Amino acid sequence: MPIYAPTLPPAPDLTRGQPPALVLMRFDLARLWRQKIGRFFGFAFLVTLLVKLSIIYVKYLLGSNPAFRPMQDFARAVLAQGPDFQAGLLNPATTLLWFLVALVGGGLVARDTLYRVRPLMYAHPVRPRDYLLAKVGFASALPFAVLLPFVLLPWALSLMVAGLQGPVWPTTPLRLLPAMALISLLMGTLAAGASALAATPRAGVGWVLGLVLGTSTVASLVHGLAGIGSAEALNPVVLVQAWPALFAGVAQPLLGWVPTILGTAFHVVLWTSLAARRTRPSEAVI
Amino acid sequence: MIAFENLDVRYGVASPPALRGLTLSLDQGIVGLLGPNGAGKSTLLKTLLGLLRPSAGGGTVLGVPLGAPEAAKLRSRIGYMPEYDALIEDASAYEQVAFWGELSGLAPEAARDRAHEVLYFVGLDESRYRSVSGYSTGMRQRVKLAQALVHSPELVFLDEPTNGLDPDGRRRMLDLVLRVHGELGTGVVLASHLLGDVERVADQLVILDKGEIRAAGSMAGLRRALAKRVELRFLETLDAAQEAALAELGSVLEARGGLYDVELAEAEPAAVFRWAQAQGATLIQLTPRHDRLDEVLLRALHGAPAGSEA
Repeated sequence: MPIYAPTLPPAPDLTRGQPPALVLMRFDLARLWRQKIGRFFGFAFLVTLLVKLSIIYVKYLLGSNPAFRPMQDFARAVLAQGPDFQAGLLNPATTLLWFLVALVGGGLVARDTLYRVRPLMYAHPVRPRDYLLAKVGFASALPFAVLLPFVLLPWALSLMVAGLQGPVWPTTPLRLLPAMALISLLMGTLAAGASALAATPRAGVGWVLGLVLGTSTVASLVHGLAGIGSAEALNPVVLVQAWPALFAGVAQPLLGWVPTILGTAFHVVLWTSLAARRTRPSEAVI
Repeated sequence: MIAFENLDVRYGVASPPALRGLTLSLDQGIVGLLGPNGAGKSTLLKTLLGLLRPSAGGGTVLGVPLGAPEAAKLRSRIGYMPEYDALIEDASAYEQVAFWGELSGLAPEAARDRAHEVLYFVGLDESRYRSVSGYSTGMRQRVKLAQALVHSPELVFLDEPTNGLDPDGRRRMLDLVLRVHGELGTGVVLASHLLGDVERVADQLVILDKGEIRAAGSMAGLRRALAKRVELRFLETLDAAQEAALAELGSVLEARGGLYDVELAEAEPAAVFRWAQAQGATLIQLTPRHDRLDEVLLRALHGAPAGSEA
C-alpha cells in the first residue's frame, strides 16, 4: 500500500537551472559511470599510458646517464625524437579509443530511442539542437578526455626530467591538442550519427564499428582500384592518424592537409546532419 | 488557461488538416479530452506544448501565443505525462525524476530535493532508489506523473494516465489527479478514451473527432442537460396528435415501441404529469437518464459537429 505525502511543498525557482545540453551530458556521464565500462578501458588506457611514460624515462636515462653512454648512439638511431615520436604519442590509444567510442557512443542516442524518452525531452524546454549538442558534445568530449593524459603526462614528465631538451617537445601540446580536438569531433559525430541509426544500444555499437570498417573498406577499394591515394581521406581511421602527423610536422604524412580537412569535414557534416535528421521531433512526438 | 480560435494544424502543406477550425476557451480546472484514436488529441496536445505551429488561426496557453518563439520557455510551465512508457529503464525513479526536473529548469540540488518530495507525493517514497525496470505498471505510471509534476507546473497534460491499471490502481491515480488540481492548484488536461475516468475527475469536457470539436462544455452543464432527459411510456399508444404535442415538453430524441426519449425543456418532471393530464394520456413510466454520459459521447462522435453541448 503506497504512502502518500500530505501535500507537495511550494515550487522551487525554475530560473537557476543549467543549460539543457549540459544537463543531458551530465546524465550521460552518470550513466557511463554506472555501466562500469571504465573498468576495462581504464585499465587498458592506464597500461598504455604507463608504457609511454616508461619509454620517455628510458630515453631520458639513455641520454643523460653516463652508464648508458655506449648505448646512446644506438638509442638515437632507434628511438628517434622527431615529429614522428610526437605524433606517435597518441598511438595506439586512438586505435583502442575507437572501441570505447563504439561502446559508449553507440548507445548515446539509441538508448533514448529504445526507452522512447526523446519525445518527452522535447516536451520539456529542450530544443532539438540542445539534444544534438549534448550527444555530439559528450561523444566528442569522451575521446578528448581519454587522450588528454597521453599528451600532457609525457610532456610534463619530459619537462621535469630533462627540461627543454627532453624527448617530448615543449610545444607538443600546442600541436597535438588541436589534432585531438579534431579527432574527437570526428569520432563523436560518427558515433552520434551511427547511434541515431540504431534502435538499441547494442545495434548502435554495431553501427559505429560497421561504419568505421565500411568507410575504410570503400576508401581502400577506391585507392586500390583507381589508384587515388587521397581516397583514403574517406577512411576515418586514417584521418585519426593523419591529424597528429600533420600538426607535428611529420615529413611524409599518410594524407596531406587538403584531403584530411576535406575528409574530416565530410564525415563531420554527414554524421551530424544524419543525427540531426534522425533526432528531430516527428509526428510521433507525443 | 487555454484559448484558441479557428485553429488549423497540418503536418505538411499538402496534407489535410489534422485539426480544423477549433474554437474553444478552457478555464482553470480539470479538462477531460475525449475522442477515439486519430481524433486529434495528441496533435492538440503537441500544439498546446508548442511543438507544432498552427497553420491557421491561433490561441494562447497560459497567456503565451501558440507558435511563439517563447514556446520553449512555456514548456517549463507545463508538465506532460505521455501515454507511452517513456521511462529511463537503467535509472532509478529518483534519478530520472531529478533529471526531468533539471531539464525543466531546476538547479541540480533543488531538483534532487524536489524529486524526493514529488515521489513521496505520488506514493513512491519507499521504492524511489530502485531501478524502474522492476516497477509494476501502477508504479511506472506514478513515476511518469511525478516527472510531470517535479517542476510544479501551472498546467499538466496527462495522456491516458490510467492505461493498464487495475481498478484499485485506477482509483488511486484518479485520486492523485484530483489532488494535483485540488491541493496544488495545477490546471489539468486529461486525455482519455475512458469516459468513466473523465466523468470522475473532470469539470470540463471536450470531445474531439476527426480533428473537429464535437462537443465541449462544463461537466455540470452537461449533467444538467442530461438530467432533463427522460424516457416516457404511456398506458395507451399515443395518437398522432398526442405525439405531435409531445414537442411541448421539449425535444423528442427517439420514439420506438411506445417508449419516448425526450429532452425536457425544463428540468421539473411535474411538467410531464401536467402535460399527460391535459392530453388525457396515462403515464406509466418516467425514467431519468442522467447516468448515460456515454450516449452523449456516442451522439457527439456519430452525429454532426455540435460546437457546444452545454
